[in-house]
Amino acid sequence: MSGFGAFLQKELTEIRRTWRIWVIPGMLVFFGVTSPIIALLTPALVKSMSASQPGVSIRIPTPTSLDAYAQWLKNLDQFVLIAVVITGAGVISGERSSGTAILALTKPLSRGAFVIAKILSQVALLVTATTLGTAACLAVTAVLFDRAPVAPLAKMVALWLVYASLLVVVMTIFSAAFRSRGAAAGAGLGYFFLTLLLSNWGPMARYTFLGLMPAMRDALMGQGLSLGWPVTTAVGAILLGIVAAVRIFQRQEL
Amino acid sequence: MQQPPNDAAIELRGLTKRFGDTLALDHVDLVVRPGVVFGFLGRNGAGKTTALRILSGLARPTSGAAHILGHDVTHATDVVRSRIGFLPDVPGFYPWMTAREYLELAGRLFGLDAATIDTRATTLLEMAGLASVTTRIGGYSRGMKQRLGIAQALINAPSLLMLDEPTSALDPIGRREVLEMVASLRGRTTVFFSTHILADVERVCDDVAILERGRVVASAGIDELTARTSANRLVVEVEGDGGAGSVVNVLTGRSWLKSVEVTEQTLRLTVSDLPAAQREIPRAIAEASVLLRRFEIEEASLEDVFVELVGGPPQ
Repeated sequence: MSGFGAFLQKELTEIRRTWRIWVIPGMLVFFGVTSPIIALLTPALVKSMSASQPGVSIRIPTPTSLDAYAQWLKNLDQFVLIAVVITGAGVISGERSSGTAILALTKPLSRGAFVIAKILSQVALLVTATTLGTAACLAVTAVLFDRAPVAPLAKMVALWLVYASLLVVVMTIFSAAFRSRGAAAGAGLGYFFLTLLLSNWGPMARYTFLGLMPAMRDALMGQGLSLGWPVTTAVGAILLGIVAAVRIFQRQEL
Repeated sequence: MQQPPNDAAIELRGLTKRFGDTLALDHVDLVVRPGVVFGFLGRNGAGKTTALRILSGLARPTSGAAHILGHDVTHATDVVRSRIGFLPDVPGFYPWMTAREYLELAGRLFGLDAATIDTRATTLLEMAGLASVTTRIGGYSRGMKQRLGIAQALINAPSLLMLDEPTSALDPIGRREVLEMVASLRGRTTVFFSTHILADVERVCDDVAILERGRVVASAGIDELTARTSANRLVVEVEGDGGAGSVVNVLTGRSWLKSVEVTEQTLRLTVSDLPAAQREIPRAIAEASVLLRRFEIEEASLEDVFVELVGGPPQ
């Protein structure tokens, strides 16, 4: 793991000083602020739409803070995960195509350190940005709704972060395996939609990390959670994924 | 000229690299003495970059061995990398960094302490003519990047500096600056640089190897290499009826005569046995009844050597 500290520091500085500081954090704070607002306005919007159609009457219950959290989760599960796929696609392939990896890796920086620093810095960015977005969501919910319970939101976001961290690792594998950023992004989107589909299949949801998706919704609804298999397999997949990404990159010629 | 392997800065033995059906390196044997500026000369596509990629640990050989400073490059990777400096043909820098920041990163990757990094970065930025440049690397010209590339390759005070085509895309001024930087390192570190520009090699190199289609066709000191070729080339100038052509008629069929170029009064001969040629050419001139005006051994340039060995000028 030679050169790990120096390269991790470079990665964190790069996040701070380039567009990367704006994309995911900006998105998360934006959705954190707007999710409770959309939840609050949805009944009024639906009502105004149904009013224009005679004979149609839609009754929507008064929104609560849980609706605000559900909207936040919907945004995390869709837009933010797709952003993670797209930004993660170039994490190694981009350094390879620009030639920056060659200069770094001809110094005493091991390929393992290179890959792990990439993963850690991305996860750090995701955790920080998600925390900021969640804090924004909580604050706006507290202002717009009667109550804003912290526990279900915290549980839900913690589970989402485990799931998103696995996606970061998967994208690092694709970025190491494919020379082109586009190919890595394509593979990542394929993985994203496939897992979305498979998470609706009972056995997969019970015994694999795909169970994290329904578990997030259960956490929000305060239902009893059975997290043993999903969390264990997710952590296992993250560790195996890191090893796979390192091995794939070590085998490649630059 | 060759030293025992343990003293060699670089030693390649039977180094072979195959990409599918293409043989990029074909049993390359090479020894680079420590402390010299070594030119690795060859046409585009001859295999120079492939050899450098193997030496720098970016690629693996198909067979054969590559040693740097006594270490196998495929196994002792960190040990080797800590003692080399490397500049690829197109260096890729993080565009959001300044030159000093990049040198600091490079120094930290080598595990240098902060004070050493600061001192060396200041010296190297001065040497590269970038001390007063505070803009980010993304705005640099190709020449500035190339000079920064050499500076970052020197941050660890390497025992061996490897440069891949360091001057190929530079304007004449940028090229001169880079060559001066390389020449200034002579004796302090071994410099191994690949190029297809003969003039660069003649200007700064002590030793040279010529690579053609993945094989080393010559490896020696420049003086030795040019002297070897010079010893085979004669210029004869004559005067009189029949001119140079009449001498050629007499010489035709001699076993030592490899080739001859004839202009009206001048013959340029390539020979395989110089003493025999020196004995027999004056006789042939007398037999042809022309006057001898000039008879000398022609000094070969590196280009002559290259053309003779490779069969054409570098691309």
